[in-house]
Amino acid sequence: MGSEHDARAMIEIADLTKDFAIGPSTVRALRGVTATVPAGCCQFVLGPSGSGKSTLLYLLGALDRPTSGTITVDGRMINELSREEQDQFRRHDVGFVFQSFNLLGNLSALDNILAPFLPVGVTGELRARALELLDRVGLSGRREHRPRELSGGEQQRVAIARALLKQPKLVLADEPTGELDHQTGGEVMGYLRALRQDLGTTIVVVTHDESYIEPGDEILRLRDGLVVAE
Amino acid sequence: MWRFAIQNLVSRPLRSLLALAGLSVAIAGMVGLFSVAEGIDQMVNDTFSRIPGLAIMQTGAPLPLFSRMPAAWGEEIEKIEGVRVVNPEVWKRVNVVEGQRVIAPPRFLFGTSISKRQELKVDVYRDAMTEQGRFLETSDRGKLHAVISQKISEEHDVGVGDTIDLDGDAFKIVGIYHCGQLMLDVSIIVDIDVARRLHRFDADTVCAYYVEPDGTVDSEILAERIRETFRGREIETRSGVVGAIATGHPLIDLLLAVQNWLNGGTRAAATDSTGTEEEPIEVRTADDWAERFDEFSADLNLFLGVMTGIGVVIAVLSIVNTMLMSVTERIIEFGILKANGWSRRDVVMLITCESALIGVAGGICGCLLGLLGTEVVNGTWPDRIQLYASPGLLLFSLAFSAVLGVAGGLYPATWAMRLSPMEAIRRG
Repeated sequence: MGSEHDARAMIEIADLTKDFAIGPSTVRALRGVTATVPAGCCQFVLGPSGSGKSTLLYLLGALDRPTSGTITVDGRMINELSREEQDQFRRHDVGFVFQSFNLLGNLSALDNILAPFLPVGVTGELRARALELLDRVGLSGRREHRPRELSGGEQQRVAIARALLKQPKLVLADEPTGELDHQTGGEVMGYLRALRQDLGTTIVVVTHDESYIEPGDEILRLRDGLVVAE
Repeated sequence: MWRFAIQNLVSRPLRSLLALAGLSVAIAGMVGLFSVAEGIDQMVNDTFSRIPGLAIMQTGAPLPLFSRMPAAWGEEIEKIEGVRVVNPEVWKRVNVVEGQRVIAPPRFLFGTSISKRQELKVDVYRDAMTEQGRFLETSDRGKLHAVISQKISEEHDVGVGDTIDLDGDAFKIVGIYHCGQLMLDVSIIVDIDVARRLHRFDADTVCAYYVEPDGTVDSEILAERIRETFRGREIETRSGVVGAIATGHPLIDLLLAVQNWLNGGTRAAATDSTGTEEEPIEVRTADDWAERFDEFSADLNLFLGVMTGIGVVIAVLSIVNTMLMSVTERIIEFGILKANGWSRRDVVMLITCESALIGVAGGICGCLLGLLGTEVVNGTWPDRIQLYASPGLLLFSLAFSAVLGVAGGLYPATWAMRLSPMEAIRRG
């Protein structure tokens, strides 16, 4: 991974391994990954199915713990965080965008964006920011619509707005264009890039499709749980 | 959080309604069952609160109807310090009214001494007279004159000035009372001599005495003085007390059952306190009745509690099942929420809120259903049963239902809490 965006590293991964127990056997998804992601960059993680891309992404987002190795995000070693600290990390410091949009079907577009803060209470400031984000992703007129009333591209734009509401330092996107046609996928990537530009957010995108990569983007290739090229 | 919980329940209407229905039926059943006990409690307490004096009956007699005592004892009782008025009573069950056989509710011919009755400061029947007619007066002595209840008047469409046929004897109705109480409105009040004559009662026999204290001594002390006066004496009767007789009135029959149930303890207590001396009479205060009924009610409540418990277990399983299915369906949703910073506690709170909402809504519906049920029963059989769902019972049922809701959601919530967010999202 390069370092032309920012001298400071947003993510530092050192000798990361992750094993999954499947029945009596153990599958090693990551086999000692070491990498650095500069702050403010757009980092693509490429590789075939089963190469460990999504596993790496989930570990970066503190959705799971590594078997060994360390992950440092913005100076914090997240693999050593307590469960409560991990919750706080996910609530305030990292945003997720998933392939299947993963919106909550019972909530409107606006409430989906506010969902992370429902347990702690939605302030007027948060609500105003959510409305602003909806406007920025071109959905200000559809804020009361439920996910089933939105197209795939619109749902993914809502998911992007949700990920950015907390103004995170890091956005992790797992195949964000995987269920979209190429044109809509391009639009979604455009929104992600624009928001990264405006907010200075570091974006890590896991994808199969290399056509969304632009000059200046960082690339990490995985194969069988190992880094094969940067 | 609550709005989100409501939206989640509304989005699965059929499942939520089924859980709600299961809980509502259980709570309605609970309200209905306990309203039986509360109805009896209320009726008994209300009845005896209107009869503040002492009732003296033959030992072992569940009701004055089955008691026989010497008429001469009345004068002796009157001389006891603390006694103001002694009113002798003769009771007889009426089998045929206006040519119709009476089974339930029963009707009783209540013979009372008119002159003594007039001396009473508090008289449950005289004080409940309606504007129709008057209470018995001295001029009614020896005559077939009767005061009947409004219920009997309405049932047989007779009023003041009409005659009413009781077991073949035509009585002139001189007044109508209305106590509004199931156990009291069964009496047809006549002169004691008339009741004796029709009942072929000896002139020297009465069924019971009602004693109005003069207020100078405590009722319990007065009761003991009366017992002491007659302790060791015997009452000779042609036929013993028949405790197994049924009156046909479910509530009065219940009283008989209660009496039989109480008899063992009462006798034992008398033996303990008096050695070998027998107690020919029982002197009961309103408090005695209430106290004994409380003991009986406690056992009845235990039984009803067991019955309710069965329904409650089914209701809880219904909530657990509903919430478990709901949680299983929403594994991905919980994964998303956790990925977005929801803690395990937040997830538990959400599911518990949902199940608590079912609990509260089920409680409200169940209480309303139970209340409606008691009203329907009371309206359909006003002379046979009085159910009463008190505000306390309704509040308890509501709170109980809410607790059941929360308890029913705890296991599914714990299960959802333990889900790994990564695993949950990958399932999607």
